[in-house]
Amino acid sequence: MDDDRFRLLVQGVLDYGIFMLDTGGRIASWNAGAERIKGYAAEEIIGEHFSVFYPAEDVAAGKPARELEVAVAQGRLEDEGWRLRKDGSRFWANVVITALYDERGELQGFGKVTRDVTERRAAEAALRESEERFRLLVQSVQDYAIFMLDTGGRIASWNAGAERIKGYAAEEIIGEHFSVFYPAEDVAAGKPARELEVAVAQGRLEDEGWRLRKDGSRFWANVVITALYDDQGRLHGFGKVTRDMTERRNAEQALRERRRLVGHLVEAQEVERRRIAWDVHDESIQSMVAVGMRLQLLAARLPEPHASAVSGLDESVSAAIARLRGLVSRLRPPELDRHGLVEAVSAYVDDVAGRWGLAHSVRDDLTAEPSPEAAITVYRICQEALSNVHRHARATRVAITLSTVDNGTLVRITDDGVGTAGGDAGAGHFGLVEMQERAEAAHGWLSVRSTPGEGTVVEFWLPLLPDVPELEP
Amino acid sequence: MTELRVLISDDDVMIRDVLREVLDSESDIAVVAVAGDADEAIRLAERHRPAVAVLDVRMPGGGGARAAREIARLSPGTAILAFSAYADRASIAGLTAAGVTEYLVKGAPNREIVEAVRRLGRQAG
Repeated sequence: MDDDRFRLLVQGVLDYGIFMLDTGGRIASWNAGAERIKGYAAEEIIGEHFSVFYPAEDVAAGKPARELEVAVAQGRLEDEGWRLRKDGSRFWANVVITALYDERGELQGFGKVTRDVTERRAAEAALRESEERFRLLVQSVQDYAIFMLDTGGRIASWNAGAERIKGYAAEEIIGEHFSVFYPAEDVAAGKPARELEVAVAQGRLEDEGWRLRKDGSRFWANVVITALYDDQGRLHGFGKVTRDMTERRNAEQALRERRRLVGHLVEAQEVERRRIAWDVHDESIQSMVAVGMRLQLLAARLPEPHASAVSGLDESVSAAIARLRGLVSRLRPPELDRHGLVEAVSAYVDDVAGRWGLAHSVRDDLTAEPSPEAAITVYRICQEALSNVHRHARATRVAITLSTVDNGTLVRITDDGVGTAGGDAGAGHFGLVEMQERAEAAHGWLSVRSTPGEGTVVEFWLPLLPDVPELEP
Repeated sequence: MTELRVLISDDDVMIRDVLREVLDSESDIAVVAVAGDADEAIRLAERHRPAVAVLDVRMPGGGGARAAREIARLSPGTAILAFSAYADRASIAGLTAAGVTEYLVKGAPNREIVEAVRRLGRQAG
């Protein structure tokens, strides 16, 4: 390339200010990039001393002269710092000053290349700030222990949540191996090391189990370990996020225990009802039947008016027998044991809805008969729901549908009554709570939808076979 | 007119006794045997060959259904009247399968019991 073409290239470069200084630091040449970056036209700036580009404080400190001295002494100088444009505004400049010598080794001047890196600097500052904010966020999170392990499993960082959950201050724990958080039996079984191996092999590991606090007490932890890699794909360490799940676990256990107890209670109640039903049926009613037959015999042998009086007694006994049979049927519907659920529910609805003057229908879409335990629960909930319709809904008709859905029995009881505001029919009402507890004890669910003026829908689902060994007698 | 010879079987002693008294108080009916379970009812029916056997549906030894089947085999001339605490279809179905056609629910007036026994006895006779 000849000198002219090279000069044209330099002249035309826009992204770099490229210009020459004489040995005294006066500007000897100027290119398009220098004009763009600094705002001076060539004729304005050539012959001026290059210190015009420096802020006053740098000039006062003798920085321009010193930079030339360094360039002379070391051949070149690189600097980053604030420089001034013609209009007085500042930009962040990357500057390279090169000392230029002729063939005889005489200093001829300096070449200066200046780049405006204000934007790059701002981006770097923004990134640093964002990283700092993120670090502060992680540091201050209270609900999660978030910390780093090095590749060997030693703790490299610590946050407020870690301190709160585990009880160690950062300075106590950083540098320690993370196995201090594991119970002795887990350490003996090699669990900490194995968890890191799994995290490396699979990228991440999630575990729930007991962990130790500084004071030796245990807490139930949910732990996620993530393997962290650098840009080259080398393992950099591990991120570890630990949550204290003790309270949730206790709450879940309490709920399970409550359901188990309700299940026992419901079962004991059914056993007791059945026993009472049999006793009333086999003892009380039989005795009263015998008494009635004797009264009839007696009436036939007595003269009036005694005969009529005894006949009256017999009628009272018959009425009492009818009432007791109704009680037996409510305590333990005989249809349920002998004809299955739909028959039992139908018989019950026929009986009560008829007496209450409610139009009623039962639709049977069952494709599988529920277990006896589930059937009695369905029956009891229907009883309760119908009794609610009677007492609260002011309805004229009620419809019950039973279907087999999702390996379970789905029952919907719809009335056209007054409904309730808020969409939940008297939440807290004892009957509703009892229905829900019965459904949940049988591992199902129950929901109530109610709109004022549009009636109420009670819907519940119970699994066909409750897989609850503790409920077996 | 000869007396209708009747067997009574019920595991409840109060029912058994009063039923015997109700039937015995009729001049044309004689209770010839009283049993407390199905086995006894079968044995006594075979020995006495009654015109009518009044059988409780639920009693030890297989209940009224088994007694009815055995009595039909061992004493074919005996008519069966089932006397039950249950008014539901399953109990009735079990007895119908055993060949029983007459059925009374406990608590029915004495008059109906007597009439049912007479009706069956005449058919058998």
